[in-house]
Amino acid sequence: MDAATLTYDTLRFAEFEDFPETTEPVWILGRKYTIFTEKEEILSDVTSRLWFTYRKNFPAIGGTGPTSDTGWGCMLRCGQMIFAQALVCRHLGRDWRWKQGRRQTDGYFSVLNAFIDKKDSYYSIHQIAQMGVGEGKSIGQWYGPNTVAQVLKKLAVFDTWSSLAVHIAMDNTVVMEEIRRLCKATSPRPDAAAFPPDSELLSNGYPPGAEVTHRLSQWKPLVLLIPLRLGLTDINEAYTETLKHCFMMPQSLGVIGGKPNSAHYFIGYVGEELIYLDPHTTQPAVELAEGGTFPDETFHCQHPPCRMNIGELDPSIAVGFFCKTEEDFNDWCQQVKKLSRIPGALPMFELVERQPAHFSCPDVLNLSLDSSDVERLERFFDSEDEDFEILSL
Amino acid sequence: MQPQQKSQTIRPFKQRKSLATRKEEVAGIRAKFPSKIPVIVERYQKEKYLPPLDKTKFLVPQELTMTQFLTIIRSRMVLTATEAFYLLVNNKSLASMSVTMAEIYRDYKDEDGFVYMTYASQEMFGCPLLMVNPELQQSFGPGSCKHLQPTSG
Repeated sequence: MDAATLTYDTLRFAEFEDFPETTEPVWILGRKYTIFTEKEEILSDVTSRLWFTYRKNFPAIGGTGPTSDTGWGCMLRCGQMIFAQALVCRHLGRDWRWKQGRRQTDGYFSVLNAFIDKKDSYYSIHQIAQMGVGEGKSIGQWYGPNTVAQVLKKLAVFDTWSSLAVHIAMDNTVVMEEIRRLCKATSPRPDAAAFPPDSELLSNGYPPGAEVTHRLSQWKPLVLLIPLRLGLTDINEAYTETLKHCFMMPQSLGVIGGKPNSAHYFIGYVGEELIYLDPHTTQPAVELAEGGTFPDETFHCQHPPCRMNIGELDPSIAVGFFCKTEEDFNDWCQQVKKLSRIPGALPMFELVERQPAHFSCPDVLNLSLDSSDVERLERFFDSEDEDFEILSL
Repeated sequence: MQPQQKSQTIRPFKQRKSLATRKEEVAGIRAKFPSKIPVIVERYQKEKYLPPLDKTKFLVPQELTMTQFLTIIRSRMVLTATEAFYLLVNNKSLASMSVTMAEIYRDYKDEDGFVYMTYASQEMFGCPLLMVNPELQQSFGPGSCKHLQPTSG
């Protein structure tokens, strides 16, 4: 064991405050706990989340690049954490718990293996940093919540094991129709020709076989990420209630964001404090053992989780949700609709049935000035330093 | 890139003109174009990624939705669909995309008669100074982190 790990081990229990003695409920990723009676359950839930931190001495990114992500990888690690939570929900379930020293299942190792620091893991720091180049980020550059979300969406395409539908809702708008189309899309399959085309099914009026019915009702598990900016320098207080409610939904994957410069993975809240996992600890990279297992204790945060006041939150965040089934998604939509009725709270995003008009085709808008406008404008602004730009429909 | 440098130093519209001047301006333009909404769109002072707009003052049809307005601004900046772009009304609120400019005007207009919007992308996260490991500081230290090129395509 090297010096850095020892320092970290000796410090970690002194550094972290235990939960406050309060009657306020603790919410962790859609689960409600009472501190006085369920402290162990809370800690067990937190410890069970996959915790990704800075690492050092991993194989060089791209063969010749960095061998550590200390100082630049915190948002990439937070992206891994929120996505790992989606994979845990997908393959192990929200109720799954990690216990130290217990032999873990193959499913667990498959999830963890997708994030290990090597070039061929689906969502490794290597894959994220290299895929980020396509988003205009060179290796070692800082990411924002949207950057890492966009990269993870691209990487998820290769993860046929999880077969996720990843949707990133831009412009603070979630379009239900888009999500349904994405989740119900059948991926091209080699045996597609064996199925009769849809038109035939409809013409005879009966769904002919159970197999086809199954195909029609298929719903790819949805990972919904909503990048937002809830203010310029500080978070607008009107959003804090809505933000808290996101952690109360059973579909919650938490929030990635942070304090200025430091990215955190927020998993819940108590009172006015957010509860988070912090990637800012450099641990040595884990060496893989034979047979796909490896020491996994360092991927679980075993001290009480960090907390911070909601007001300290940097306004740039991405909120995440996981809907395994269509029913989960419908339920999520219902809950979001209720959010708009919280008195004094401002919705962070809008839920709409379909794409608002002109959304995808800006050419439809006529942006040119008509001549009468120009004439009137000239007369008015003869002596002005700055002109108005007139938009017409 | 040169024009961008210049525009970064421009003070906000509200500071460039007195309240009386701004009020006069709104009264004048509203008289000429009663069906259009006067909107000020400015770049967040600390914005590092999004380009500046060549115009600050817009006259917008009142039936235009926020979605349409956002689409216009997005296409002016030649942003791709996956780039983060937010228009914050009065420096703090994300307007709902389905509301019309008339509704925005009713709810958010300033005392001078303009409605103010500021655009920004998202902040990036990382440590400005690597105190953890001095070796790293040399190879990919703050220098490489500060190479904040506007994201393209």
